[in-house]
Amino acid sequence: MAVAVQYYLLLSAAMFCIGLLGILTRRNALFLLMSVELMLNAANINLVAFSLQYGNLTGQVFSLFVTALAAAEVALGIGILLVLYRNFGDVDITKATTLRW
Amino acid sequence: MVATITAFAFEVAPAIAILPLASFVIALFAGKYLPKRGALAGIAATGGSLLLSLWVALTVAGGATYNEEIYSLVTTPNTFDLHFGLLLDPLSALMLVIVSLVSFLVHLFSLGYMNDEGEAGLPRYYAGLGLFSFSMLAFVFADNLFMSFVFFELVGLCSWLLIGHWYREDAPPSAAKKAFLVTRFGDYFFLVGVVAIFATFGTTVFAGPESFPTLAEEALAGSGGAGGGAGGLSTFGFGPGAWFTILGFLVLGGVIGKSAQFPLHTWLPDAMEGPTPVSALIHAATMVAAGVYLVARMYGFYALSPTTLAVIAFVGGFTALFAASMAVVKRDIKQVLAYSTISQYGYMMLGLGAGGYVAAVFHLMTHAFFKALLFLGAGAVIIAMHHRQDMWEMGGLKERLPIPYYAFLSGSLALAGIFPFAGFWSKDEILFEALVHGIGGSPLLLGGYLMGLTAVVFTGFYTFRMVLLTFHGEPRTHTARNPHDLGWSVKTPLAVLGILAATAGFVNMVPVGTILGLERIELLHGWLDHGISGLTVEHYGELTHDFAGYTTGALAGSEVLTVLLSAGISLALALAGAGLAWMLYSGPNPEAHTERLGDVRTLLMNNYYQDEYQVWIAETFGTGVARLSDRFDQSIVDGAVNGVSEVSLLSGDRIRRIQTGIVSNYATLLTLGLVVLLLTVGLAGGWFL
Repeated sequence: MAVAVQYYLLLSAAMFCIGLLGILTRRNALFLLMSVELMLNAANINLVAFSLQYGNLTGQVFSLFVTALAAAEVALGIGILLVLYRNFGDVDITKATTLRW
Repeated sequence: MVATITAFAFEVAPAIAILPLASFVIALFAGKYLPKRGALAGIAATGGSLLLSLWVALTVAGGATYNEEIYSLVTTPNTFDLHFGLLLDPLSALMLVIVSLVSFLVHLFSLGYMNDEGEAGLPRYYAGLGLFSFSMLAFVFADNLFMSFVFFELVGLCSWLLIGHWYREDAPPSAAKKAFLVTRFGDYFFLVGVVAIFATFGTTVFAGPESFPTLAEEALAGSGGAGGGAGGLSTFGFGPGAWFTILGFLVLGGVIGKSAQFPLHTWLPDAMEGPTPVSALIHAATMVAAGVYLVARMYGFYALSPTTLAVIAFVGGFTALFAASMAVVKRDIKQVLAYSTISQYGYMMLGLGAGGYVAAVFHLMTHAFFKALLFLGAGAVIIAMHHRQDMWEMGGLKERLPIPYYAFLSGSLALAGIFPFAGFWSKDEILFEALVHGIGGSPLLLGGYLMGLTAVVFTGFYTFRMVLLTFHGEPRTHTARNPHDLGWSVKTPLAVLGILAATAGFVNMVPVGTILGLERIELLHGWLDHGISGLTVEHYGELTHDFAGYTTGALAGSEVLTVLLSAGISLALALAGAGLAWMLYSGPNPEAHTERLGDVRTLLMNNYYQDEYQVWIAETFGTGVARLSDRFDQSIVDGAVNGVSEVSLLSGDRIRRIQTGIVSNYATLLTLGLVVLLLTVGLAGGWFL
């Protein structure tokens, strides 16, 4: 017996909100990256759930693309993070405020 | 074979104007290195123009005409196009010959007046003359009003350049500015008129079935006079008759400015500050002639409006008298000639307004010859007098300068209208036309006739006062006893024009033709009566008769008697004026009699305070308007601009504070923005209902 699609959506929405909350409240840049990862995976769950619902493989293929994108994003993110640490001696994003008015 | 030669003559016709343009370029860029500083290029170019003009005139005499577009500037479907084109008909062919002839002689004369006197800035001078000739020639063969306007303005620009030639002195630049501004004032009306004619007719071409005079005529004929529909033309809520009158007045503004008619004549006497050959060119053939020529060019349009014709006639008659009265008291030989020019152009306007198209064109032609002659003669006298222009310092030059004297005398007899010199025939014809149309049912014209007739006395008087003071009697100064020698380049133009001034009148001897019953003797009448249909004298006669109600009347029912009386009266009055001058100023040592005029002399010497009141108007209203505009500009325009920048600066200063540099804040704003957007779209789209 397959799980009804709305539960997947609820799970995905919950994961998305956790991710969003993480981005809005965390000060450590690493946690920010992780939260983004959560949000991307929430989207992945949606894609896979609807793929199952309509018996269409496009959604699952897309989720592979999103995973690849997430990997690329993390690679960039870690790079930025390293530079951030080198310049400010910290990964606290509230400290790195030189690009302001 | 004949057809090809005809076509070829018209093919090369644009070169009539292009040649002086080339001489302008040569004098401007290479004048410094040329032996005569550009004079030879100018002489060659205008000489070439003269030959080509004569060829075109001969071709036109053979019955061919030309009316083609040669260069299109803007072509738009469904509205109108702006183009340059050529209209070669008897009128423009005649004018081309006159302009290129006078221009050629002026170039020649300049060799003596400018080069031999060692004047500075010669390349600039010859460049100006070339551009001037180019502009006027192109104006003359323009086939549409737009092209006319372009070259009309160029003529004005050239007059500014040439009048202000001696720009290091005080007076010439100021006179040049005045000439430019006063004529520009008239040209504003002309510009509005050109645009209005475009808006009304969708075309400004002069000739052909699609030309604006023809369209206007059809509109008026179709609607049976004023009121009613206008045959698909938009007349902006006016009746077609009233609207065409307004259009006529607008264009007339430019004419009054350029042809120095009252009240925009004030620039012309001041323009005497320019070199004398330039004065000859301006007065005889180019600048001032442009206005009258324009009226003649679009006479088919003016003939439709009796009001405009009456105003032209009245302004002309008044200007003739007004200017002639001022010429009476002047001491400067060039000033006398300047006022006589204004007066003579007044006659031409009177002729045009009175339905005497041939008479006006005739006077335009004879005046071009004798006024160029008088100015060049005055130039010769000025060279001889070492650039002194006061007639009271001259005297007795007759024996010392025989060729200028006889040429000048010929021009003066023509100017005064003494039988059988050129001016007699043409001026008499103008007055005759005004008289017969006046008694034939347009009594208003009689007013113009009387003013013109009174001006004849003044003309005779001031002309001979000038001749007597300059050439007769005993020399009054040392300079006059030992005048400067004159070269061939001064004497040749004088001789040519002297002969023309004496004989040019024979081309249209109306009195002789009427009395002997020889219509064929009126050559100019016949010349202007062939060519493009709709531009012929016969057609203009029908138009003035049908639309303006001009009918020919006769004194005591006899045409011959009327002709004789008209000619006799004007000749008698001219002789009376001349005789009065002889009585007062002949003898070895003439005395000044102008003092006896008392207050009138003061009034005349101050030119009826025309300059003063115009300056007063300009200062009172001009500065008032300028102050208002300044205030408007400073407060409203600048206020709006400054306000916009103030608001941007202030709001920028406030809003930039959201750029905290903290990534979390940006993320919050992004999220909130998305939420707001979703809510808005949702509410508007009714998602929550």
